Amino acid sequence: MPTKKYILGSFRDENQAASAVEALRKSPWNLDRVHSPIPSHTIAKALKEKESRVGYFTLAGGIIGFFTGFVLAIYTAVQWNLIVSGKPVVAWLPFLIVGFEFTILFAVLGNVIGLITQARLPEFESLKIYDPRFSGEYFGIVASCGEGEQQELMDFLMNMGGEVKACEG
Amino acid sequence: MSELTYAKIDNTVLGTLERPSKSYWGLIALLALGIFVGAACWAYQIAVGIGAGGQNNPVAWGTYLINFVFWVGIAHSGTLISAILHLFRAGWRNPIARAAETMTVFAVCIAGLFPFIHLGRVWLVFYMLPYPNQRNLWPNFQSPLIFDMVAISTYLLVSSLFWYTGMLPDLATVRDRACGLRKKIFTIISLGWTGQHEQWRHYTRAYLFFAALATPLVISVHSVVSWDFALGVVPGWHSTIFAPYFVAGAIHSGLAMVITLMIPMRKIFSYQAFITKDVLENVAKTIIFTGLIVGYAYAAEYFIAWYSHNIVEQESFRWRAVGEYSMEFWIMVICNSLIPLLFFFKRIRRSIPWLFGISILVNIGMWYERFVIIIGSVAHDFIPHAWGLYAPSAIELGILLGSFSLFFFLYLLFAKHLPTVSMTELKETFRKGEQHAH
Repeated sequence: MPTKKYILGSFRDENQAASAVEALRKSPWNLDRVHSPIPSHTIAKALKEKESRVGYFTLAGGIIGFFTGFVLAIYTAVQWNLIVSGKPVVAWLPFLIVGFEFTILFAVLGNVIGLITQARLPEFESLKIYDPRFSGEYFGIVASCGEGEQQELMDFLMNMGGEVKACEG
Repeated sequence: MSELTYAKIDNTVLGTLERPSKSYWGLIALLALGIFVGAACWAYQIAVGIGAGGQNNPVAWGTYLINFVFWVGIAHSGTLISAILHLFRAGWRNPIARAAETMTVFAVCIAGLFPFIHLGRVWLVFYMLPYPNQRNLWPNFQSPLIFDMVAISTYLLVSSLFWYTGMLPDLATVRDRACGLRKKIFTIISLGWTGQHEQWRHYTRAYLFFAALATPLVISVHSVVSWDFALGVVPGWHSTIFAPYFVAGAIHSGLAMVITLMIPMRKIFSYQAFITKDVLENVAKTIIFTGLIVGYAYAAEYFIAWYSHNIVEQESFRWRAVGEYSMEFWIMVICNSLIPLLFFFKRIRRSIPWLFGISILVNIGMWYERFVIIIGSVAHDFIPHAWGLYAPSAIELGILLGSFSLFFFLYLLFAKHLPTVSMTELKETFRKGEQHAH
């Protein structure tokens, strides 16, 4: 099995990094990852990213929370059927507050679950091929190629304006 | 911000995490002593009973409830700044968002302690949890106190998660500049964040939802706190304006606390390039707005008392202004509604000593506002022979000291161990400024 070779390209300029991403997508080499210290719309556009699906988790959490809050309040109220201050046992208005708080709570939990499952966190594998400057002021591209194509890929990224480094996978 | 670069932002913020000086540890030790005093007072109260506090008939809710409402209020501006202003795309909030969010988390934790302290028999706190005991009795979900328990727990969890999520990219920046044990710790707590676009794609979306969910939550939390009072038929409490009145008051006090914390922080950490006078001026302008709402609420209460022809309500409000607690009342009015009007003068809202001084006065005024509402109303309600006065005992004052010490203790620990300014958001602000410049 041929060994995969990884090349790390570091760009100071966001637009140069975005151009390199676009060019790399059209090239025969693989674009593995793009790192940036900030969420970059320019790079996201170059990557033609789809919309995140985190929102579905948030929505599901919210719906579950809303019913959980209501059901908990109703279930507990009907256990003894005590009428307090002439208020109905199943009092919708006060229970709406419980339902609301649970909606937010569960929606946020859904949001967190969505984030960690979709973004695959925690994940420490990527740190093996990584440059600490990517969290500072550099935009990084991790590209891979077959053995023998290494120099060609390095030249390609260098021509796009990046500093390059070869890494073992 | 044009002179800023990504590297300068990182260097300045990460520079604050260097080994603290002896004076820092001295301050930490002093605050630890304050916490010890508070803890000792609480321990004494647990040993001898809740009577160690000054609460008695007719004032059953004393400083513990004042402190609870005060700290929940302080917690509100953190979410206002990080969530609401994020949704409004107000870029000026970026340099202070992290510090304000942190303030929120610590303030909610401290607020959450007060119901425990007020319980007396604190070991029975689990009665408040929604679980069936041996007689299948559950908490009454029609009670505002249970609404409050649900709301505050939700707020604590949500604000902590929001704070931590917002910090993930910055924790990775700290990890990438650290070595040894510190690197290992930050590798774990940053969850291996590498700023991959796949991560940013989901992160930005999740952060937006966090902000969108935290916004109604923050409004609901202090509304629910206000209903602890408004749902009781006590004159001075039983009011429909309480929810917006409390929310505005909470944001008012929280913003003042933001200024109180930001001014020493920008000086000590040399953050003048990030936390500019423009940022502080914007906070001051928001304080004018919340101060006007609070002032309007004070006036509306008097108007309604007069307009209602309800003699109990009228007497309650007459007594507030001229009775035994009139000093507290006038401190409240002057500090919360009148003094912030000085911010109408540009020279004052751009002057650091004025900003700092007024922010402290607003904090004092807001503490007294809770005193006037909570104590004043039950001390002088329906029946003249049941009227009575309240003064906090030394034990309560010790616990008050402990709570402030704990807040500043936690804040100081945070300031030297985690990034106090969001480097990521600051870089985004800087980049936008740079793009506009081209």
